[in-house]
Amino acid sequence: MKPLDPRLVRRSRAARGFLLAGGALAVVQAAAIIAVAWSIATLVVGLIDGMPMDGLWPALAVLVGAACVRALAAWAWELVGATGAQRVKRELRGELLAALERHPGGIAGFSSARIATLLGPGLDALDDYFGRYLPQLVLTVVATPACIAAAWIADPLSGLVLVIVLPLVPVFMALIGMATDAVQRRQWESLSALSRGFLEVVGGLSTLVLYGRAERQARRIREVTDGYRRHTMKVLRITFLSGFALEFAASLSVALVAVSIGLRLVSGDMSLAPGLFVLVLAPEVFLPLRNVGAAFHASAAGVTAADDAFALLDETEMGDDATVQPGSSAHLAPLASARRLGTVLEREDATIDSPRTGLVVAGLAVRRGDRPVIEDLDAVVAPGSLVAVIGPSGSGKSTLFAALLGFAPIAAGEVSWDGRSLGNRGRELVAWAGQSPVLLAGSVAENVRLGDETADPALLERAFAVAGVEVAAGLVLGPGGSGLSGGQAQRVAIARAVHRLLARRLPLLLLDEPTSAQDAGREQALVEHLRALCDGGVTVLVATHRPALVAAADGVIEPAAARV
Amino acid sequence: MSERRIPQSGSDTRSVLRTSIPRFGRLLPSVLFGVVSGGSAVALLACSAWLIARAAEQPPVLYLSLAIVGVRAFALGRAVFRYLERLSGHDAAFRQLAAIRSGIFERMLPVAPDGIAALRRGELLARFVGDVDELQNVPLRAVQPVVSALVVLLGAVVGVALLAPASAFALIGCLVLGVGATVLVQHAVAARAESRLAPLRGELQAAVVDQVQSLEVLVAFDGAAAGRARIDALGARLARLTRASASAAGAAAAIMSAIGGIAVALAVVTAEPLLASGRIDGPTFAVLCLVPLAIAEVAAAIPPAASAWRLGRVSAGRVANAVPGRVQPEIPVAPATPATAPAAEPTPAISLRGVTASWPGATAPALSGLDLELAPGERVLVRGESGAGKSTLAHVLVRFLEARGSYRIGGVEASDLDPGEVRRLVGLVEQRPWLFDEDVRQNLVFARDTASDEELLAVLERVGLRDWVLERGGLGARVGERGSLVSGGQAQRLALARAMLARFPVLVLDEPTANVDRARADALLRDLLGAVAGEGRTVVLISHVPVDPSLVDRVVTIADGRACTVAP
Repeated sequence: MKPLDPRLVRRSRAARGFLLAGGALAVVQAAAIIAVAWSIATLVVGLIDGMPMDGLWPALAVLVGAACVRALAAWAWELVGATGAQRVKRELRGELLAALERHPGGIAGFSSARIATLLGPGLDALDDYFGRYLPQLVLTVVATPACIAAAWIADPLSGLVLVIVLPLVPVFMALIGMATDAVQRRQWESLSALSRGFLEVVGGLSTLVLYGRAERQARRIREVTDGYRRHTMKVLRITFLSGFALEFAASLSVALVAVSIGLRLVSGDMSLAPGLFVLVLAPEVFLPLRNVGAAFHASAAGVTAADDAFALLDETEMGDDATVQPGSSAHLAPLASARRLGTVLEREDATIDSPRTGLVVAGLAVRRGDRPVIEDLDAVVAPGSLVAVIGPSGSGKSTLFAALLGFAPIAAGEVSWDGRSLGNRGRELVAWAGQSPVLLAGSVAENVRLGDETADPALLERAFAVAGVEVAAGLVLGPGGSGLSGGQAQRVAIARAVHRLLARRLPLLLLDEPTSAQDAGREQALVEHLRALCDGGVTVLVATHRPALVAAADGVIEPAAARV
Repeated sequence: MSERRIPQSGSDTRSVLRTSIPRFGRLLPSVLFGVVSGGSAVALLACSAWLIARAAEQPPVLYLSLAIVGVRAFALGRAVFRYLERLSGHDAAFRQLAAIRSGIFERMLPVAPDGIAALRRGELLARFVGDVDELQNVPLRAVQPVVSALVVLLGAVVGVALLAPASAFALIGCLVLGVGATVLVQHAVAARAESRLAPLRGELQAAVVDQVQSLEVLVAFDGAAAGRARIDALGARLARLTRASASAAGAAAAIMSAIGGIAVALAVVTAEPLLASGRIDGPTFAVLCLVPLAIAEVAAAIPPAASAWRLGRVSAGRVANAVPGRVQPEIPVAPATPATAPAAEPTPAISLRGVTASWPGATAPALSGLDLELAPGERVLVRGESGAGKSTLAHVLVRFLEARGSYRIGGVEASDLDPGEVRRLVGLVEQRPWLFDEDVRQNLVFARDTASDEELLAVLERVGLRDWVLERGGLGARVGERGSLVSGGQAQRLALARAMLARFPVLVLDEPTANVDRARADALLRDLLGAVAGEGRTVVLISHVPVDPSLVDRVVTIADGRACTVAP
């Protein structure tokens, strides 16, 4: 682990300002420390030598004053640290969330539990990094050399001892840091495993209860927690070693300095005043370094979390490059530019230069991970038509929608609307309702007006009518949209898509299994409403396995058929 | 009558705090190591000061040898025992966390799943991970350092009192004043901020989980930025509170640091008359003047302990409230003395008379006065509008929800049975089955852990998944987080396969074909109903879509919570 991650400084403006302010405060602290040591030595030696107390009041005043200045500077430092930590956290959190939004389909290797742990407790670990570790690190860089210089001036031999012992500390730290790195990584992973294990068990609780397996999971949780403890202890045994090395170096140098001063005093080679001065100063040389050691463990968690955050950002940036390729460098660019991609579009029969061609899918291939889901799919959907997307489960119906929305990267081929490539900007033309409703906490109206909160309220009622929503618009849903039956939730989700379609006058509506939880009567009603939308010029794609819907459609697209 | 209070320990703040503190035997080593280490720090400074001041008097080196050994021994001792203190303290604290974590889960079991449906998963996760972690600080930063520091301080003050009583009084005065002032400052500023800190952190975590899990929808509807802004606003509020609490903690540390200098000044003033009158010698005077520095350092451990304790108590409260303290009246509980469950063979008859049931927190019952008889081996289709109470019926049958009225299995009232026993007789395939982030085998085998791979493949064949599984590399194929690598229809099939493995005598299928294509839906139902019918099992099929009438013996329609029509 590096003492200071350069990426953090590079990425974060807040982090830079924080380091500058800290440096200034550290100088004040160093001066106060030296003043305290000087006044103590003056007082003790003066009194032992028989000086009257009256002459020593100034020294006493310096002692109290310097102690107070030092305390105030330390307090200010603490405030600066806390403020810096919060700023950097907000910056990073915002950046991460924005990066995730560019990849709504998910990011390989980052489960939602891992992301949630990273954005919550993970970033919180930065509190200790900025609040405790970095201030002490800056103090070490500034105050330690100042104290050593003061000791050197008072007694060069003691200064030499400190100069010799001090470099041992970073060497120790580097060695221990290398050893910690690997174990630290594993510990962070085991914390993620703990979260994942718990989310799995809670999410699947009803299944576990049904099969009488829930009680056993308590044991599993105990095991995971215990594994977490063992991992953590393994880390601590090593990270605490660094604390030990620091603490030991500090004590050792005090002992060395005291003994060497003592022996030289006995032989009359030096006087008491510089001896006491150095003795008081010697622990102060190591104090910030020792505090760095104490904060080391906590900060390591923060650094690992920051590492994870940067890994996620890098991953999304790499992903950005991948998604951006197919013709979307200029978004909604004419399809003609895509032809330059060569092999992608060899067929010339897809006439695409006329303005009202509707939706044209040409040679589309989409992969999920390494598995090709859609291969070489061609389809033309005229504007104002209702088309069913059919095929067995897993044949790529939802994936086609994901590609149209720009959620799944297009591996090859082209999708265009009225001659313009959708690229990964399909969302600007498309309103969509997914296979599962995914409603949010809040009122039904808030759910339906998501993203178009300022739209005409009349549109809300129209959307309700089209989707057949019968619940009150003001009904407040619980977390995850709980509080509605499956069928009701599905209709609210359809209303949400229709509302967006109407509010933004979009040309394309995608509904994924819109009637899977509806009875025949409601299905018929929905078909009639969709027909009316089509008559108004909207193009509707419905992924479905319901025969009534397929029968009502003007045509079908079968992603699986293209794969042969 | 049966017990509605959730019995496990850890249901109130105090008992969670108590659980977080290791028992005496386990805490003792870290306390003792702490005492020895803190004592060594004080002794190191005292010994060095004496050594230097005495050496200045130029005695024979022999007189200094003991002090020289002492300096070296205390230097080594401080570092070694500090290391041991931290290690043994952390190990003891972590052991307690396992007990607390499994405690949360055990308290969830009596109300699961319908009694905790209203809890946000992110919120639960925050409590389970963050708050429980915070509790390790109760022994580590509150109990153990305070006990160790008090022992060391007592020893040091007694030592000073033996040499110069006036200095000891001054020292005690400084310590009491310093610790008192810091605790007061923290109480005034930090306590208020801190009590709001943990709940706010939980809120932020919940918002993050919601945002991450609904990301597709949020992005598709341009609602993500609003969610991000809300998270950022929560983050800003959290930042303000954290700053307030850090400022108080910093003030505490600052006061203790200033107290060190002031204590030295007071020691100088109070010991000076003794030196002047010759009652103490120079080296003793030097010790009296320097020791307060080390003592203040030891005492500095106490103020953070107060804040650690406060934070711990807030977290303990949140851990205690993570799960409802009582089982809601809508959730069944096991009777004190459960009746003997009817045998699984022959298949028991089911009888519902005047059954009323509602969901926790709901104002109106979802089922009211429902009558339904299920003869052994009968295949019944339950139809109805969405929201008519079909899923409620399923949850009543498997005792997720309490039923008022009479629900008999094989002639025994279900409320007289342990709900777990009922679930051995009545199985349910849920509308949205949960798949664990494991392989296919793990997702099946927990229904019957003795099942061989051949049996698993046979049952997969019956649900039409055998080839699909083999194509993906066999039973070791992963299904992904929340089944993300399988489609909705395949998830249903896997869940069906799981239920068939468990061989429930009565099986409820809640919309099994909701996400399965029509062509296969009939075949699947035929497969399934055919497979179980031969073994005399009762099947309740809940569906809003038409089902081939030849597949079932009887059709029941539910409307407004009643089974009103019985059609052929």
